[in-house]
Amino acid sequence: MGAIGYLYRKTLLNRVRMALRKPVTYFYAALILFYMICLSFSLRTLTENGGIDSPGSMAGVLTLFAFWLIPGNLIAYAKRKGLVYRNCDIHFMFPSPISPKQVLLYAHLRTVPMQILLNLFGVICGNLMFHVPTWKLAVYFLFSLGVENVLECCVMLLLYGSERLDEKQRGLIIKAAYGVLGILAVIGVLMYLREGLSFQTVIHFLHSDAVQLVPVIGWYIAVLHLLFTGITTVNVVGTLLYCCLFVAVVIAAVRMKCTGAFYEDAVKFAEDYEEVLANRRQGGTDKRLGRKQKYGKASVRWKRTGAGALFSRQLLEYRKSRFFIFDTSTVFALAAGAVIPWLYIREGGFGGFTPFVIPAVSAYLIFIFTAMNGKWAKELKSPYTYMIPDSAFGKLVNATAIQIIQSLVNGLLITVPGAVVMGMSPVTTVLCVLAYVSLSANKLYALAVAEIVVGGTMGTFGKQLFQMLIQGIVITAAILGAVLGAMIGGITPAYLFMDVFMILFTFIFMLIASFNFYRMETA
Amino acid sequence: MLEVIGLSKKYGKTLAADNVGFTVPDGKVGILLGPNGAGKSTVIKSIAGLLRYKGTIRIQGMDSRTIEAKKHFAYVPEIPYMYEALTVREHIEFITRAYGVEASEEEIESLFDKFDLTDKQNKLGNELSKGMMQKVSICCALITKPDVVLLDEPMVGLDPAAIKELKAVILNLRDRGCTVLISTHMLEMVKELWDVTFVMDKGHILGTYARENLANEDLEELFFQVTGQAEKTENASVTESDSTSVNGR
Repeated sequence: MGAIGYLYRKTLLNRVRMALRKPVTYFYAALILFYMICLSFSLRTLTENGGIDSPGSMAGVLTLFAFWLIPGNLIAYAKRKGLVYRNCDIHFMFPSPISPKQVLLYAHLRTVPMQILLNLFGVICGNLMFHVPTWKLAVYFLFSLGVENVLECCVMLLLYGSERLDEKQRGLIIKAAYGVLGILAVIGVLMYLREGLSFQTVIHFLHSDAVQLVPVIGWYIAVLHLLFTGITTVNVVGTLLYCCLFVAVVIAAVRMKCTGAFYEDAVKFAEDYEEVLANRRQGGTDKRLGRKQKYGKASVRWKRTGAGALFSRQLLEYRKSRFFIFDTSTVFALAAGAVIPWLYIREGGFGGFTPFVIPAVSAYLIFIFTAMNGKWAKELKSPYTYMIPDSAFGKLVNATAIQIIQSLVNGLLITVPGAVVMGMSPVTTVLCVLAYVSLSANKLYALAVAEIVVGGTMGTFGKQLFQMLIQGIVITAAILGAVLGAMIGGITPAYLFMDVFMILFTFIFMLIASFNFYRMETA
Repeated sequence: MLEVIGLSKKYGKTLAADNVGFTVPDGKVGILLGPNGAGKSTVIKSIAGLLRYKGTIRIQGMDSRTIEAKKHFAYVPEIPYMYEALTVREHIEFITRAYGVEASEEEIESLFDKFDLTDKQNKLGNELSKGMMQKVSICCALITKPDVVLLDEPMVGLDPAAIKELKAVILNLRDRGCTVLISTHMLEMVKELWDVTFVMDKGHILGTYARENLANEDLEELFFQVTGQAEKTENASVTESDSTSVNGR
């Protein structure tokens, strides 16, 4: 492990050193720590109120994670996906005389710091929420980082690195993983038929003996139960089977021949990963790992000149896209538009809060999708935007016009069904849609404001945080406006004041953004 | 010596390399020439061990996929990628450990001096320009004292001084018996370096030409003739002269 160990150690140390030199690291560390503490305590309250604050519940929670993670990892390794290599690894490591098995281990090694942090969080939660004795948590921590880690690593070597498995056999392994999930689903359905749908049934399912005897996943769950809920015949048998599996897998992984045939798949995955990473850094969401973006044939009439060319180009790109101008936010708007009236009918109304449910849900959705800035973020990064001989304001309007149209469609989807069911007046409905559109526009221009204020000092994540912060301020101002309007004359003035406040902020952000455009062009 | 025997590679239904075969003997510089889409990258990536393929590739007589063969082989890709959190010096350290070679302080200093990297050795990978990255990539290849070197468009991004130095290094490698294979479009850059040229198109080797057999022929002309691009070039120049005469009228 000489070269790999050196690379791992140096990279980690240099990254830590670089991070410690940046003041923003301390800010993020404090933020994450604060978030984790708050999360632990709020979860503690939740488990205490739900009566699930026992060590057995920790086994239940970890069982749920096992359902989610283990089959997913098996499938990813069998498909030769899921291991992240960067282009620099392909350049230096793949052609070098480092054993391909060590190259695989390196990819796994890089996940260890995150595993340590997650396990530490798990241990803290185990102590605070589930009152697990310290020695059990210590054993769990060592088991997770030692035994489970080695087992996963060896499984990865066998599935990802194997040169004996052909495509058909890999397909069978994937089917087997789905088969295991199917067995778990059948056990769940049988328990539902026997006991009915209740929280207690879910608890029984997570702790059931049948689950602990399901190959691979169940045996791991048996170990967890042996540790957290005490000894039973089933969990001892499951644990013994887990031990046998461990020994067999380790021996097979050590003896397996690997000459690096997986490099081709790893190169492909690395290229995809770098592409998706670059796309995400620009706030894009259209690129997905392992899925090649497909574009259809389309054309536009290039009537517009100057900044209008931005609009035409975006329109052409959207026409070539599979879902035109719509994306995940549209799906969520559609879902919210369906759920709100359904809940309204089921619950018989939302009490005094009824008139403001739609804007509240809209604000929440826009807020959580802050990072999705679409083509606008790309325009901000593109030098061609600044080279177009037109006014900064014109560019701003043309570069964001289609996204505003998209938000109008989203606003209609989320508002109209609820408005009809809840009997909102046409004026209030229009004002509600307007609130959605102005808050969406606000988000776009807030990105440019974040660019000015934070710039390159806090990175993309810092910029997004700042964008969320100023959006939070706007939402708070809009709420105050709504309260003021409601005090003056009821629902319609409340909506009117809310919209006025939001449009005012949007207009201010728009001016700041266009000024920034101008400043960047003339600097 | 580098031997490529019956190399074939398919991407889905597309045959990118079809029964490709050539040999670059010890102490010779081979050039792999071909238009875009000829299959050069496929051949190069196969030699570098980045692709699965049918056929045999031997480095110093050993299967190129073995660790022992890789110890004799160095690769400079067309686009260099650095470890963002490693300094230039640490890249060299990593490579010497990976190849299990000893490199004295003098050797490293001399290499850095040749490629003007002495004052950049403590810079991190993400602080380097593309040209600097290419220089580091070349230094990493050279520090392993390889017997077979594969250079994919090595001159791209280099400044004139570095190009001159690289040419000198390639000739030096050749003189000490090393096998060099260069894939390039820049015929001008390699005309004083090559010993044997392999012209490739549509996944096939169309011709192999040794310098000693081509006393009076120009490599560029030969390339255009073999790939059938000479007619296109002639047609283009006729069209160009036509339009010039029209404009000039």
